[in-house]
Amino acid sequence: MKNIKVALAGQPNCGKSTIFNMLSGIDQHIANYPGVTVDKKTGRFKYDNHKIEMVDLPGTYSFSSYSLEERVAKGFIIDENPDVIVNVVDASNIKRHLYLTFQLLEIGMPVVIVLNMMDVAQRRGIIIDSQRISQLLGCKVIEASGAKGLGSKEIMEAIISTSQSTDKYEDFSINYEELEPHIKEVQDSIETTKLTLNKRWMAIKVLEGDTTIIEYLKKEFSLIEELAKTQVDKFHSIHDKDTASFLATFRYDSADIIYHKAVKDTNIGKETLTDKADKIILHRWLALPILFGIMFLIYELSIVGGYKLTDYTWPILAAVKNFVIDISPQAYLTDIPMMSDFAVWMINSANALINYVPIFFILFMLIAIMEDVGYMPRMAFILDRIFKKFGLHGQSTLPLVLGGAMVGGCAVPGVMATKGIADDRARMATILTVPYMNCLAKVPFYTLLLGAFFKPDMAIMMFFISTATIFTALIVAKIITSTFLKTRETAPFVMELPPYHLPTFKGVILSAAQRVWIYIYKVLTIVLAVAVVLFALLQFPGISSESQAAYDAELSKSLVAFDKRVKKSKYYEEVDEKDEIASLLNYYDSYRNKRMATTSKKGALAIDEDFKVSNESFFKFIKPSRDNEARIINKEIRKLAKVRNKILRNIKNEKVENSLLGLAGKAFEPVTKYAGFDWKINVAFLSSFAARESAVATLGSIYEDNKVESQRAEEAMAANSGYTPLHAVAIIIFMLLTPPCIATMIVVKMQTNSYKWMLFAIFFPITLGILASSAVFMLGTFYAWSGVEAMTYFYASIVVTALTIGLFPSKSINWRGGLRDV
Amino acid sequence: MIKREKKYLDIIKSGKKVKIAGVNSGGKLMHKLLDMGFIIGATIEVIREAPLFDPMELRIHNYNISLRKSEARLIEVSDI
Repeated sequence: MKNIKVALAGQPNCGKSTIFNMLSGIDQHIANYPGVTVDKKTGRFKYDNHKIEMVDLPGTYSFSSYSLEERVAKGFIIDENPDVIVNVVDASNIKRHLYLTFQLLEIGMPVVIVLNMMDVAQRRGIIIDSQRISQLLGCKVIEASGAKGLGSKEIMEAIISTSQSTDKYEDFSINYEELEPHIKEVQDSIETTKLTLNKRWMAIKVLEGDTTIIEYLKKEFSLIEELAKTQVDKFHSIHDKDTASFLATFRYDSADIIYHKAVKDTNIGKETLTDKADKIILHRWLALPILFGIMFLIYELSIVGGYKLTDYTWPILAAVKNFVIDISPQAYLTDIPMMSDFAVWMINSANALINYVPIFFILFMLIAIMEDVGYMPRMAFILDRIFKKFGLHGQSTLPLVLGGAMVGGCAVPGVMATKGIADDRARMATILTVPYMNCLAKVPFYTLLLGAFFKPDMAIMMFFISTATIFTALIVAKIITSTFLKTRETAPFVMELPPYHLPTFKGVILSAAQRVWIYIYKVLTIVLAVAVVLFALLQFPGISSESQAAYDAELSKSLVAFDKRVKKSKYYEEVDEKDEIASLLNYYDSYRNKRMATTSKKGALAIDEDFKVSNESFFKFIKPSRDNEARIINKEIRKLAKVRNKILRNIKNEKVENSLLGLAGKAFEPVTKYAGFDWKINVAFLSSFAARESAVATLGSIYEDNKVESQRAEEAMAANSGYTPLHAVAIIIFMLLTPPCIATMIVVKMQTNSYKWMLFAIFFPITLGILASSAVFMLGTFYAWSGVEAMTYFYASIVVTALTIGLFPSKSINWRGGLRDV
Repeated sequence: MIKREKKYLDIIKSGKKVKIAGVNSGGKLMHKLLDMGFIIGATIEVIREAPLFDPMELRIHNYNISLRKSEARLIEVSDI
């Protein structure tokens, strides 16, 4: 069996990925190209006794070295030396796509041209003579339609026959006329190179100023740069022409020749469907309402709809959790094995994140649809003006929306969606501002605080919270782009607005599944690792032996009381031993937990049946019905269970207070006290860094009142914390500004490719948060503001700041040169 | 002969067609523009401005592209 290595190249929007999906099926492997954040998709498949390995190169308009994608694509061609290059061309926009085709042909490797979207071209009245193109360019030309699944077999056969007829292959070259002597000169000087690449191609690339090729050649020819410069200058002085634009013009002219010889456009100048649609979608007055409508729809379908879906998926996760609890070692009175605690902690951390998978799946599907349809660049087109003001880019819209610019979202997919932003400075700024958006996992925390302190003003407070984020993000973007990111490269906003296309079902599902998988795989592993560390920090060093003794004494006292009271029951024999009581307590708790998790009558009956089967003698104590003897025990075991839970909670709280994390919380108090945070709040912030959901759990357990079981967490907090609404506002502001979770920080690391920026993304917002909340808290205390007043002032000040920046004409230095050392 | 003022792309009204007479840029932007087909002699049609007046949408070589006005200002054009 023969191996064939194929590189799939094409311009953006040529439908390359649909062709790739059509050829390789779902057997795809995604990784990053070494050292960069560009996706590398590889598909391996067999056809007719040949093993084909196909790599999907990033879409590039050209094959020079002016963008990361181009460098990556060219690096692959040079390093991996593929047998065949498959060039996907949009048949409905053939002229511009042929520009890249000429550059690929010049590389000197066999090329197969795939005319994709032939159906679209036909519909638009574009008639293409592919036979003629094949003759003119000396390569196979295959007509296909990735969306309709046409042409797969023909492409495979062309790849195989091209790879087998290398003996018939003659190097392709364009006659560059007046540039030829200069090409020859460079080519002669690199004649001795050990690189196996086509020498003429390298010579042309050197003259073009292609940094990648020059770097490669520099290893052998240290003077290559100087040589190139002399030749370029010479050409300029003789012909008054710039080499780069001369070459580009020549290639465009060549593409034009093909266009005129082999393509007939019967509908030229006629309005296409895309033109008609754009008249509405990009209309001066309608564009923004339509955009907000689409955003709202995405939000409704993914966040709201996805949340509803989690109602169905959550029981599955809960069942997994119950299963883990069931198989973990049982508690013995107040002695809970650490192993069981740990298992519950880990499963809770994992569940908190997996719970979002349905939301992400819908979200990623909708994004894939928008990408495939071609709305993304239009969104950038509409909003670029606003974002530009703040150092961002039109393409920042989507990451910010995903992050939760509208009410709620998740920063993980948001940061991942920054990949496509061409402008490096804006991309970095977007990565660093998406975490300020409204994280969905923070919402329960806000609800807790609002429920505890702002019952009548909940709506207005929630409005402030959910809209404040976009303003803070814009301000932060402006701050960091004009300071930390000032020296970063920016790219011109030259962006194609491709024709609209119907998305393919397969493509959408594949893309969503791949992104969800990255989320699960990359994020979950790291979150779990962090969860282990946090668990340890919360457990050690544990409580002192004196308090342990005190708790033991308290329990013994209750046990003695229990024993005294149940003696009169005829069932006394069944509960007269400590071991029996311990199992009965576990039995009772487990029954209660399971009953509380079910809402249906049928479910409740099933649970009853289960428990009856597992231990009939205990069951009568839990459901004594009319058995008065059993009732006595039922009453007493309930009392005992209550005492036990109280002791357990106290042990837990003491453990948290003494733990390393608790100590850290206390150590931060001198700083955080200006914002009104005590150590408990600090611990809640610290411990929820693995997943923000756990902030509620931590606070809940710290503030839970031991006497009244039915009290809700927010009521307990209002009653027991000693906080004022002003405290709550300070906490909310801090939560608004702090980064959502470690998972987000991991994707920040993935996207920026640097730990330095990850640390920046952690500590900059925290500093900002502590400053802002301290300022509000201190001013609020001084002027005796109410909570709502404090929040209103905070909100007003950031809105005014953002508007000031936005409306202030931005003037930047855009000239250079002159005398140095003036 | 009357010496005519040079005209740049950013002030061309929607719906008008012009020819590129020169690109006053260098480096990265120049290369990007060349790759996208902004070569001397190419015909550009201005389709529309964005709803907030910037950037602008153009048609060149039979496809649509968006360009900020700050970049369009560097492209010298002449009437057809």
